[in-house]
Amino acid sequence: MAGNREEAPDYGQGVVITDDWTGYDLSLFTYPQHYYGDLEYVLIPHGIIVDRIERLAKDIMKDIGCCDIMVLCVLKGGYKFCADLVEHLKNISRNSDCIFMKVDFIRLKSYRNDQSMDEMQIIGGDDLWTLAGKNVLIVEIGTGRTIKALLSSIEKYKPNMIKVASLLVKRTPRSDGFRPDYAGFEIPNLFVVGYALDYNEYFRDLNHICVINEHGKEKHRV
Amino acid sequence: ISSSLREAANEDTCVTISDEEPGDDLDLFCVPNHYAKDLEKVFIPHGLILDRTEKLARDVMGDMGGHHIVALRVLKAGYTFCADLLDYVKTRFFKSYCNDQSTGAIKVLGGDNLSTLAGKNILIVEDIIDFGKTMQIFLSLVQQHNPKMVEVANLLVKRTPRSIGYQPDFVGFEIPDKFVIGYALDYNEYFRDLNHVCVISETGKAKYKSEAESLG
Repeated sequence: MAGNREEAPDYGQGVVITDDWTGYDLSLFTYPQHYYGDLEYVLIPHGIIVDRIERLAKDIMKDIGCCDIMVLCVLKGGYKFCADLVEHLKNISRNSDCIFMKVDFIRLKSYRNDQSMDEMQIIGGDDLWTLAGKNVLIVEIGTGRTIKALLSSIEKYKPNMIKVASLLVKRTPRSDGFRPDYAGFEIPNLFVVGYALDYNEYFRDLNHICVINEHGKEKHRV
Repeated sequence: ISSSLREAANEDTCVTISDEEPGDDLDLFCVPNHYAKDLEKVFIPHGLILDRTEKLARDVMGDMGGHHIVALRVLKAGYTFCADLLDYVKTRFFKSYCNDQSTGAIKVLGGDNLSTLAGKNILIVEDIIDFGKTMQIFLSLVQQHNPKMVEVANLLVKRTPRSIGYQPDFVGFEIPDKFVIGYALDYNEYFRDLNHVCVISETGKAKYKSEAESLG
C-alpha cells in the first residue's frame, strides 16, 4: 500500500499503516451510492483485508491448528472478520490437516459496578462453561474496547488456551499496551467505518474500511 | 466546500504508487512456498487488484455500455486481467445496460478477423504498458477498420523516462519502473500461479532466466 511503512517484525504488528498515509481516493473504487459524500477516503480496500485475513488464517492454523478450536466472535463489529477468517480456516482445513472448529457469538457490555470500577459483561453465547479445557480463539474487529477485561472474564471458565485475533489495532495514547496474538493491520487513531464497523449502525454495508467525514457524521447522527 | 465537490476536484484517474513505496513483506500475505526466495516484496495485493478492476469495469460500461462491445486482447499478454475485467463487466454491470433494443454482446477476439470491428465499441485490454509504442501501432491498426469507438484498458502503467507519453483510457495502477511479476505478468512463463503483483528478487531473476537471456 502506498505510504511510508515500517517492516513488521513478527506476528504481532501486522500491516502497519502510518499516520501520514492519505488513503485511496473514493473515486477509484466502487461503494454504495447512498454513502457518496459521507466518506473522506478509503483507508483499507476490502480486497486487501481479505488477502490479509487469508494469511492470518494460515498463521493461526500453523500455531494452533493441531487442536480443536472454539471461535468466539465479538459482535457486532466482528461478524465480517469472523466470517471471512472462518472461511479461510475451513479452506485450509479441507486441503490439509483437519481442524475441528466451533463458532459462537458474544456481545460485550461495559459498565461501572457499585465500587465505581469498570467491568465487562458478556452477553449471549452458549453456556461459557463449555469453554473449559478448550482452545479459545477470540475474534474481534479491534475497536479499542478493553480486551484485557474480556480475557479475564473468559479465564474464569478455565479454557486450555486463549488467543486473540484482532483485525485492527489502533495506535492510541490510551492504549493499555494490549497486543493481540494475530493482528491484521495497525492503523492511526482514526474513526473508521465499513467492513462491519458502524457509525450509529450505518456503514456496516460498506465493504472497504474508510474514514467518515463531517458530512457523514452529521447525516447519520442519532 | 462540501466533500462531494472536493471529491470531484481531486479525482484521480488511477491508483498512483509512488517511487518510495517499499511494498509489503511476504510474510504478511499468502505467497506460494516455491516462490519464497524469488520475490522481494508484495507490491499490489490480489484483492486490491480486484477491487480496482471492479471500478474499471464500471467505468468501461459507463463509456461503452449502450452498444455492442468487442474486447481485444493482445495475445502475447496474460489473460488474467482481461478475464477478471470482463467478468465484472458481465456479472456486475451488464444487466443495467441491456434492454430490448440492444443486443449487447461481448466478444473476445484474438485479432485475426479485424473486419468485424467495424461500427462496434472496441475495448483493448492490456496488462502493462511500458513505453506505449506497441499500443500506438496497434491502435492505428484497429482504427483502420472503422470501429464506432476504441478505448484501452490497462491494469498497470509504468512511469519510465522512455515512455512516449501515451495514456490509456482506463488505468488500474500507475507504478514505478520496477521489475514486477505475478497476477497477469509472467517471467518466462513462471509466476502465473502467483496472484499478487510482486517485485522479483535477484535470486528469482537468475533462477528463471531463459536460455536466450543467459546467452545474450
